[in-house]
Amino acid sequence: MGEGSTNFHWMYQIKESNSELVTQHYLGMTYENRPMYYLKISQPSNKAKKIIWMDCGLHAREWISPAFCQWFMKEILQNYKTDPKIKSFLQNLDVYILPVLNIDGYIYSWTTERLWRKSRSALINSTCFGTDLNRNFNGSWGSIGVSHNCSSLTFCGTGPESEPETKAVARFIEKRKSDVLCFLTVHSYGHNHQDLVRQQNHAPCQRKGLRLHELYFLSFSNVQLEAAEKAAVALKEKHGTNFTVGPTSLVLYKNSGSWWDWAHMIGIPFFYTFELRDKGAYGFILPPDQIQPTCEETTSAVMTITEYVNQKYFPNSAVAVTSGSLWL
Amino acid sequence: MQRRSAARLSPLLLLLLLLLPLAWGAGPWPPRADRELQVSSRLAGQAARVALHYLNYRLGSPSALRALGQVRKATVKPIPGIGHKYYLQFTTEDYKSSQNVGTCLATVLYLKRKPRPAVNINCTYTKDQKQTREDDYSFYKKLRQQTKPITGNDTPDSYGHIEPALEPAWALAVAGSSYLMWEKSTENLGYFMAQVKNVKQWITKDDSIDFDYLVILHEIPTQEMISCHLRVIWTPGHPLKVKYFCLSENQRSESGEGSGTESGSTNGIFNEEEANF
Repeated sequence: MGEGSTNFHWMYQIKESNSELVTQHYLGMTYENRPMYYLKISQPSNKAKKIIWMDCGLHAREWISPAFCQWFMKEILQNYKTDPKIKSFLQNLDVYILPVLNIDGYIYSWTTERLWRKSRSALINSTCFGTDLNRNFNGSWGSIGVSHNCSSLTFCGTGPESEPETKAVARFIEKRKSDVLCFLTVHSYGHNHQDLVRQQNHAPCQRKGLRLHELYFLSFSNVQLEAAEKAAVALKEKHGTNFTVGPTSLVLYKNSGSWWDWAHMIGIPFFYTFELRDKGAYGFILPPDQIQPTCEETTSAVMTITEYVNQKYFPNSAVAVTSGSLWL
Repeated sequence: MQRRSAARLSPLLLLLLLLLPLAWGAGPWPPRADRELQVSSRLAGQAARVALHYLNYRLGSPSALRALGQVRKATVKPIPGIGHKYYLQFTTEDYKSSQNVGTCLATVLYLKRKPRPAVNINCTYTKDQKQTREDDYSFYKKLRQQTKPITGNDTPDSYGHIEPALEPAWALAVAGSSYLMWEKSTENLGYFMAQVKNVKQWITKDDSIDFDYLVILHEIPTQEMISCHLRVIWTPGHPLKVKYFCLSENQRSESGEGSGTESGSTNGIFNEEEANF
């Protein structure tokens, strides 16, 4: 239970010490009856805001992912009063962060099996556990790149959104889809990706998602590419890490029922999957000295994307910031 | 019909046609009519890693383990009835420090009938080779001096720590697992060594270092974790001896044995200079 309660404790503290900016909201319950909360970072104002959504910890063993969500929150909260770019985007955008989507699985990876991936739902008289939440969404569910065998690590569940975690986040985003401009989901590690070969039969123009990781590239929408490329540049500037931009368009076919494909399906304009360090030498069990650099570089990337979205949808406020700095 | 066509061909074209078989068989770099892959394509990365598994195994040097940096060029040539041959150029990184340590040219032939890909690989290496030999030798000396066998669990542990005393054992596990991962790799299934679950040293009466491991491999794209028993016998300057036995979820078991006599080639074997060990 250690890590689960530490996470909740952290969320509580963050909310308490930044109550003018941060509120905690209930999403639903996990299979093992743990409450799922997201944190909403919102600058109080009369203005209706648009939403940037980011979630971490969909796959239990990818520990660098929840670590990053926490780090990113800390970055915003430490700097929102002084950083002009953060101030600018918070005028127009609320940032919703779900630090751990798969709470049951995450806790299980701390207490019992470090390399656990799935949720902890029980099937067949509790002889078989866990659904791969990233195969459980309602986008071409159960077609390709999944297993219908519950003991498999890519088990897609008994039906689309069969899992309470999936249902909770999907229902939430669905309700707000007209306000969600940008959707980010954070994974690891950089070589943990899907089969490219089967995608070649499908028209890439149907897909628009982008995947930031150290791998592949294909055709996709110009603005998403532009934002992602800027993000990759910003990321590299931190510690020299090379991130390549590639389309999740490919991922659908190997990876039906994934979170990002569903987000695309319901029409969210910008969506990205991040695959953080490393490239496989240590994989899921990243050495501790790489945690901070990974968080720093990824923060640069996410900030860049957020600024890009802000400038694209709210050009006036962006101009205001630029003009302001010219007169200093 | 053919003779008539040949008679009409220009001398230049005829010359090209005559030269074509030479280019096909002996050419060092990909013959024509191959498919060029995106350097960031999964298949290219996968093939490059297979080549590196082979290299890490054949070198059998815990201080000189290499990981994939970036693929610079990749082409694949289908060989009807045989398989697919990849031609690759890629950079490499030191496994532990991620520093760039050179570039490799490699071919990887995935055969339809035999399970193990055929690899040819040649690399530049920018690390000081004298230094890596010395590092290997200090590992070796430390391990030879053990009166009590080294044992350990979960290396790295859940938080990514590797106990300094277990570093050499972990590095040998990577080298030994490389053999296993090379054997198991197919065009579509790739592997990484995720964790050493268990390590136990056997104290030997001869010059060798002998370890028993339980390693966990991460299989992509299935995401499965495969448990394998691994036995690694190391004498610096000699080919690594590896035996393995893997169990998967559906009770399929696979085993194999390697002793450095497998076919394939690399320029990176430092043999003669090890005599002073």
